[in-house]
Amino acid sequence: MQHVTITINGTKVSCDVPDETLLVTLLREHLNLTGTHVGCDTTQCGCCVVHLNGKSVKSCTVLAAQAQDGEVTTVEGLAQKDGTLHPMQEAFHQLHALQCGYCTPGMIMAAVNLVDTYPEPLTEEIVREQMEGNLCRCTGYHNIVKAILAVAAAKQGDADKRPALAGVE
Amino acid sequence: MVMYPTHYHRPKSLEEALKLHADNEEASYLSGGHTLIPALKQRLARPSDLIDLAVVPGLRGIKLEKNVLSIGATTTHAEVAASSVVRKAIPALAGMVGTIGDRHVRNRGTIGGSVANNDPAADYPAAVLGLGATVVTDRRRIAADDFFVALYETALEPGEIITCIEFPVPDQAGYAKFRSAASRYAVAAVFVAKFGGSARAAVTGAGSGGVFRLRDLEAALAKDFGPAAAAHCKVEPGNMLEDHVGSSEYRANLVVVMARRALEHLGEASSYK
Amino acid sequence: MLAEQIFKSVGKPVPRNEDQRLITGKGRFSDDFSLPGQIWAAMVRSPHPHARIVSIDKTEALKMPGVLAVYTGADCRNDGLKAIPHNPVPSTKYDVKLRGPGDTEVFAGPNVLLPEDKARHVGEAVAMVVAETLEQAQSGAEQVAIDYEVLPWVANSEEAAKPDAPRLWDEIPSNLLVDSFFGDEAATAKAFAAAAHVVTMKSHVGRVTGVPLEPRAALAHFDPATQRYTIYAGSGGAVRQKQELAAVLGIDPKNVRVLSFDVGGNFGTRNRSFVEFGLVMWASKKLGRPVKFRAERSEAFLTDYQGRDLVTEVSLALDKDGRFLAMRASNLSNVGARCVSLSPLSKGSGLITGSYNIPIATLHARAVFSNTMPTQAYRSSGRPEVTYAIERLVDKAARELGFDRFELRRRNLVHAEQMPYTNAVGSIYDSGEYEKNMARALEIGDAAGFAARRAEAKSRGKLLGLGFANYVESSIGSPKERADLIVRKDLIEIVIGTQPAGQGHETSFAQVTADLLGVPFEQVKITLGDTDIVTAGGGTHSGRSMRHASTVIALGSVDLIAKGKALLAHLENVPLDKVEFEDGVFRVAGSNRALSWFELSPLADQGGLPVELQGGLRVRRDNEMHTPVYPNGACLCEIEVDPETGATDIKRYTSIDDVGRCINPLIVHGQTHGAIAQGVGQALWEECAIDPASGQPLMGSFMDYGMPRFDNLPSFKSEIAEVLSPTNPFGVKAGGEGGTTGALAVITSAIDDALSDYGHPHIDMPITPIKIWNAIQDYKNHHKAT
Repeated sequence: MQHVTITINGTKVSCDVPDETLLVTLLREHLNLTGTHVGCDTTQCGCCVVHLNGKSVKSCTVLAAQAQDGEVTTVEGLAQKDGTLHPMQEAFHQLHALQCGYCTPGMIMAAVNLVDTYPEPLTEEIVREQMEGNLCRCTGYHNIVKAILAVAAAKQGDADKRPALAGVE
Repeated sequence: MVMYPTHYHRPKSLEEALKLHADNEEASYLSGGHTLIPALKQRLARPSDLIDLAVVPGLRGIKLEKNVLSIGATTTHAEVAASSVVRKAIPALAGMVGTIGDRHVRNRGTIGGSVANNDPAADYPAAVLGLGATVVTDRRRIAADDFFVALYETALEPGEIITCIEFPVPDQAGYAKFRSAASRYAVAAVFVAKFGGSARAAVTGAGSGGVFRLRDLEAALAKDFGPAAAAHCKVEPGNMLEDHVGSSEYRANLVVVMARRALEHLGEASSYK
Repeated sequence: MLAEQIFKSVGKPVPRNEDQRLITGKGRFSDDFSLPGQIWAAMVRSPHPHARIVSIDKTEALKMPGVLAVYTGADCRNDGLKAIPHNPVPSTKYDVKLRGPGDTEVFAGPNVLLPEDKARHVGEAVAMVVAETLEQAQSGAEQVAIDYEVLPWVANSEEAAKPDAPRLWDEIPSNLLVDSFFGDEAATAKAFAAAAHVVTMKSHVGRVTGVPLEPRAALAHFDPATQRYTIYAGSGGAVRQKQELAAVLGIDPKNVRVLSFDVGGNFGTRNRSFVEFGLVMWASKKLGRPVKFRAERSEAFLTDYQGRDLVTEVSLALDKDGRFLAMRASNLSNVGARCVSLSPLSKGSGLITGSYNIPIATLHARAVFSNTMPTQAYRSSGRPEVTYAIERLVDKAARELGFDRFELRRRNLVHAEQMPYTNAVGSIYDSGEYEKNMARALEIGDAAGFAARRAEAKSRGKLLGLGFANYVESSIGSPKERADLIVRKDLIEIVIGTQPAGQGHETSFAQVTADLLGVPFEQVKITLGDTDIVTAGGGTHSGRSMRHASTVIALGSVDLIAKGKALLAHLENVPLDKVEFEDGVFRVAGSNRALSWFELSPLADQGGLPVELQGGLRVRRDNEMHTPVYPNGACLCEIEVDPETGATDIKRYTSIDDVGRCINPLIVHGQTHGAIAQGVGQALWEECAIDPASGQPLMGSFMDYGMPRFDNLPSFKSEIAEVLSPTNPFGVKAGGEGGTTGALAVITSAIDDALSDYGHPHIDMPITPIKIWNAIQDYKNHHKAT
């Protein structure tokens, strides 16, 4: 058994778990944070992406013990305490970047980290290349790319700008 | 599947890690975990203990000294790809590492783990062999030419830990990779490097025995380090991997094409699929 | 047809109601649920494609830590469990009538939960282990010792159809379960004999799997006090699952409650019950604790119901001017180890002539068993296959006979004036403007600029090809639907029996309701997925949902408005014709007495009302509609081929899709994008390949199964056309499957065009780089200068 202490969405949490417990299992089954999902068994689909110490990681391939003393942010921790959505959540909603919603938590966490940490301005080509670690079966990716570019543009431009509903072409 | 039960350790030093391994016959080292943990989730292995090297001090970091680029074994792919030191010294290496897996995998995967594993389609072995790097372990220094023994097999002794990899800085280098549509691993990829009047060219993804050097191409490159030399590339289909992604003839063809493209885009890594 | 002026919400790109919970991690997918004391199930699966089960030894497994039980087919039989009633033969009024050989009833091959006699495909569950933890259940499963007698196997459908092939079912003399002819063979033979030209093609549209990102899961619980089962399990229709699972357990459906809330993608894979769902229900009663099963992705690859797998041989007879005279098609569908649904063969059969006026056709439709996972409907079930066949055949005819491929199509398209059009196999296309679609696709896709783009690609050593396809597809689906329309304190609640997995019903149905009842969109709530509340309904498949839901809600609205008027008339003691309803307000004519729904509703709960006005301001409406509709469109794409590696790069993809009335364009465009991606996936990367030597599936994970991804798809240019269907009040056709229907054909067409200089090789999908490279090498070798 491992006694793991991790700060999750701003709250320090301690748990006794079997050594082999994955971070995603800790979140879903021990802490009832079921927002993070499991979609595959080969570390490819990205449904499980969370932030660990400021980096996007696949929580299905990290042991809870490896996150000891770390800081984890899940999709449940993105919006503000008063319910104000993160710009990426808002953009996904306005631009219809989700359908069934299963890949969405990992997709949003991946997208947020991309926009926050990529050192150059994002283009469609860069977004498509850098998001290849996340699969979606419903949307064909088209609107997700739009949402990410909208948030990136808003971040680069006027900080007050909300991602615009670009309408349908 | 759920992994078999195991014991996880956080050694405070290299010595403690070595001792833990020596005391537990069925122990495995853990670094980035992005090769080992997926294998454990498939129940392909049953280590009694996991010894986390990523928490051992002194194994992480990037240094350029006297034309040798040293990368600590637990340095992540993301760190290498983003490093201004690597980008300046060996841009093709930084570029190549930036194509490993995906962003999230690169935040965890490490050079030590990749090199120790010697996956026949992984990128790092091509760079290590293509640059003639030295694998430094807790007990010795191993030249790249002696390190990669067979598929998934290296010269490492049981318990031996890679501490860092030293890359000689070349005059020029390039990398071109053709990726499988599904796994995104290399179907064939070539790393070329020029060192004064000599050259090296290493191939991953295609060889039935793992990473290997293209001697014919190296000889031609020594005379003329450029794309034209790729015309002299002789690749025997018989030595190539054959699977549903590519026949041996196809891989033999890809090796030549990727070699040429690596030479057409020196100072970069280019990825095709 | 409803009056256009009521549409305030309908037709608008309203962002979705369901998003809030899904973007904040508060979705309710099956595996998100846990119950106190729950235990875990793991399945023991056959490693052989075909083997007799000689014996199953539970001893070692039962000794493993935490293991509570090991169940086999004998245990199921002893408890009287029945086979899952899949009802595979489509039987609505307009479905093509498939029959067994010699005009017999189709033998489907029973689907008991665990077989006793044989395993008939790799991965078939033959035992179940239940333990305290998932790890213990999986470890226990490894210890179940099964003695198999390996039997000869067959995976390929053409091989399986041969009379001497290894036989899966003793009940019938061969593996052929369907053998039907449609059309006029004499007239067809005459037309072919007189034709100036005949073009023929054979291809195998291969096997793929749906890959919804949520692996299937079920959590079941039996309450001895009420004798009721509750099961959390996402599906394509909670009501249908309830009926089927009750039948399996031999109990009254009222003792089953199915909870199917958020479903992580369906695409057809979840339209039929899985054995694990029945097994966990049964085990939860036997063990007195909730039992949970969730599939690994590898189990999903192996044992999700799979899709497609059709061998199609088609011939087209043309006159000297290129007019299509007649068509022959022979379609062989691989249903797998047992028949779960004949929808692909049936739906495809009705559309073999595609968008073209081909007056005479004959179809030979067959289905065969094989030692593979059963197949069923998958995104546009049957239609992408037949669209591929006719469109490839038309391209071939154009090329071989020297016609321009666009001109040849225009010459033969069904005209708008011919609607409703009855095709040569009896399908009645309700509406559509095919020529307009074609012209529009070429316009928005900038076909005129292609030549310049091809030259530019050539300067970089690449081959750019232009692909084109027309398509028409059909939406039939379960004919019955029910809606409860309930006026609550400050919102209208609609309870309905569709089962979305991303299609946005909570939004589009609310838009429809808002406009019909004159209430703000924000004050409508859609309730789905709990069979204790949803008492009837057809689920979601075949593009049926919007059409059936909007119709039954429209009919129910009429009833509800009538009840509201009658109520107000009664309360105000005025004649009924003095009560008006407009824009959500009930008014007594000639007075200023006016009430909204929410002001009237409390008055409906008072005592002393006449019988017909009791029960509150709510109505239940059932509707049955059999008439199919025919969404249609055209698509254009450009693909760049790298001749040195065989790699393909989709540079642009354009489509125009006639969905009938578009309720929410944001949602419909999203459906189009996703549908295109699934078709492209099959055309380029996806295949459930089987090793010809061992019969083992080769694609067990994303490491082998290529998927559409961010970096291998372009952004799309999709346009919606709205030619209203005369078959239902809103004029809805369907928007969920058109994108896939044309995709197989258009991608293949583009690559074929790119390889013009290499003899237009026929390459079966998935058209992978190595296949392209091999085709180029073959051409070069055949054309070496001598």
